[in-house]
Amino acid sequence: MDASHVSPVQGRSLVWRLVRVAAMWAVPAFAFTAFALIWFYRSSTYRMFDDPLVSTIQSLVSYVEIDPDDGRIMLSDEPIDPNYQRALSGRYWVIGELDGEGRLIPVVGSPSLYGATLVLPLEDATKITGNLGEVVTSVSEGPDREPLRLAAQAVIFPDLGDRPVVIAAAADRRPAVKAVRQFSLIALGLMSVLALGLVSAIFMQVRLGLRPLFDLRRRVADVREGKARAVEGDYPMEIKPLADELNTLIGHNKDVVEYARTHVANLAHALKTPLAVLVNEADDKSTPLAEIVARQSGIMSKQVDHHLRRARAATRGQSIGARTPLNETVSSLARTLQKIYRDKDLDIQVSLDDGLVFRGEKRDLEEMVGNLLDNACKWTGSKIAVSAQMLDNGLGNITITIDDDGPGLARDQYDVVMQRGARLDEATPGSGFGLSIVSDLAKAYKGGLALDKSPLGGLRTILTIPGSEADA
Amino acid sequence: MRILIVEDDPDLARQLASALKDTGYAVDVANDGEEGHFLGDTEPYDAVVLDLGLPVIDGISILQKWRADGKTFPVIILTARDQWSEKVSGFDAGADDYLTKPFHTEELLARLRALVRRAAGHTTDTMDIGDLMVDNRSARAFVDGMPIKLTSHEFRLLSYMAMHVGKVISRTELVEHIYDQDFDRDSNTIEVFIGRLRRKIGVERIETVRGLGYRLVDPSQEKPSKDDKT
Repeated sequence: MDASHVSPVQGRSLVWRLVRVAAMWAVPAFAFTAFALIWFYRSSTYRMFDDPLVSTIQSLVSYVEIDPDDGRIMLSDEPIDPNYQRALSGRYWVIGELDGEGRLIPVVGSPSLYGATLVLPLEDATKITGNLGEVVTSVSEGPDREPLRLAAQAVIFPDLGDRPVVIAAAADRRPAVKAVRQFSLIALGLMSVLALGLVSAIFMQVRLGLRPLFDLRRRVADVREGKARAVEGDYPMEIKPLADELNTLIGHNKDVVEYARTHVANLAHALKTPLAVLVNEADDKSTPLAEIVARQSGIMSKQVDHHLRRARAATRGQSIGARTPLNETVSSLARTLQKIYRDKDLDIQVSLDDGLVFRGEKRDLEEMVGNLLDNACKWTGSKIAVSAQMLDNGLGNITITIDDDGPGLARDQYDVVMQRGARLDEATPGSGFGLSIVSDLAKAYKGGLALDKSPLGGLRTILTIPGSEADA
Repeated sequence: MRILIVEDDPDLARQLASALKDTGYAVDVANDGEEGHFLGDTEPYDAVVLDLGLPVIDGISILQKWRADGKTFPVIILTARDQWSEKVSGFDAGADDYLTKPFHTEELLARLRALVRRAAGHTTDTMDIGDLMVDNRSARAFVDGMPIKLTSHEFRLLSYMAMHVGKVISRTELVEHIYDQDFDRDSNTIEVFIGRLRRKIGVERIETVRGLGYRLVDPSQEKPSKDDKT
């Protein structure tokens, strides 16, 4: 196979590589077999074809008699095949002498010749006279211009001196040629079919044989896309070590990411205490130094928060299979907020549909609902209502709706509060910062956060997150 | 008012202690979880400032132990961790408030004041006992609108009695709540302070209940309320 005909993709394909290697020996092997078969068939056909010609010659030799009076050649009998009698039947015999051009000057000939004679190729003519007593086969053209196969033998009759007499028999070779051609076609066709069948069988075998490998590739992709934690499945022993190694690698990678993330978080948290010290120290004084310290530590705090959030965001999507019951989490958050805002005398109504489960990690749910509830508690007069239900869109989503009776927001402010925190320098704590965190988190879970006017009079926040009903 | 600070960063602990002392609290500082737990278990604090990331025993465990032992003093958690999951576990462990680092000292003081007065059943930072007014925010006291010069110990004494106005407070209780751990606790000094305080705000405002202790009263009312003898 010419390499330039193979596209680079196929060239690198293991399947094509294996099929090509198989084809590389299979195709020549079949071609050789086909040609060998044809050659054998052809030679045996011609041998069988030649046998009657040879026996005709032998009979003729035995029939030859020399007229003792004039030394003419006479025949005591004639070959019995009636085809030798019928004019231009395609079967002929001749006894005569060769002239210089291979033409046989007949002394006696079969009636089928109809007065014509046989002509031998010059080359074979000399071969016949050179090999006395041997039967030489050749091809020629008959009186009816039909292609002939011809056998001839030069014999020396002592009574006739030393001039050789040539005895030849010929037959129309077209049936033999036709048989050989037919056989060749059938043999080549069958062999081609066989070769093609073999190559496609190899192709199938390779595909089937490599299936665990393709399967492995899919599983690895699943891991990368976060659909699976590890490469799972029962692999043949040749691939199992690879799968195991991959799992080890995935685990190691996860550990490294987790380690880096924990490290960032630890660093960020470790910085907060010194920052608190700086902030407090600077708070007390109004020297230029204190002002710089206050300003710079403010910037540092924001940086720390920013990177903490990013480190947290990086872990999202790794929580495959995590399930968090909604009721428990929301209730404990409501309890916590009652404590935080105990001076406000809050009335938090939690009415969730039974058995709702968030498909994600608990701390993310707490982060989302906590921030939304905190926001509601901050602005509400006293009443807050939390409800949750399965969304009937077939996507497996839960909506959590939180209403408050506070002042609410104007519609044109909705986007602004959601955007805050997208830019670090605008993010001031306690001013809608929480909503952008919630929005980002919800998006990471392929959900979302929407704001609306609450029937209680304040703001309504609608959180959409992946979920299901218990034991679903 | 006596406050326990459990914080392992010495600078922050020192800052907080001095800020709290300036506003009239008696302050003890523990630098690790074990010491913090022990102090909270043995001394009657009016509030605790608790860091979560502590050596030896972590803050949440300390808090859980205290609550399990029936300690009811208000606890404000001071931590670098600001996720809701951490807040929830803090409150579930029995915290009363939660402040994330970095913070402004003012914020901590305000929250601490709120916790202390809430624990004592008051709703504002200022307390009026007749024409005596105790302002916990500025750590000052007024009689008839006129400010009175008080030392920090005198103010602590007055503030504690004002929190529990009308109730008899034993000498030991006073000692425990207005002195920090390292103070020389001679109960005679309490008598000295009571004497000085009486001179400054008026003798009739502090009654001596024999064998039991002292009581801050409003002299303009004949019998303030039914005595609650604890």
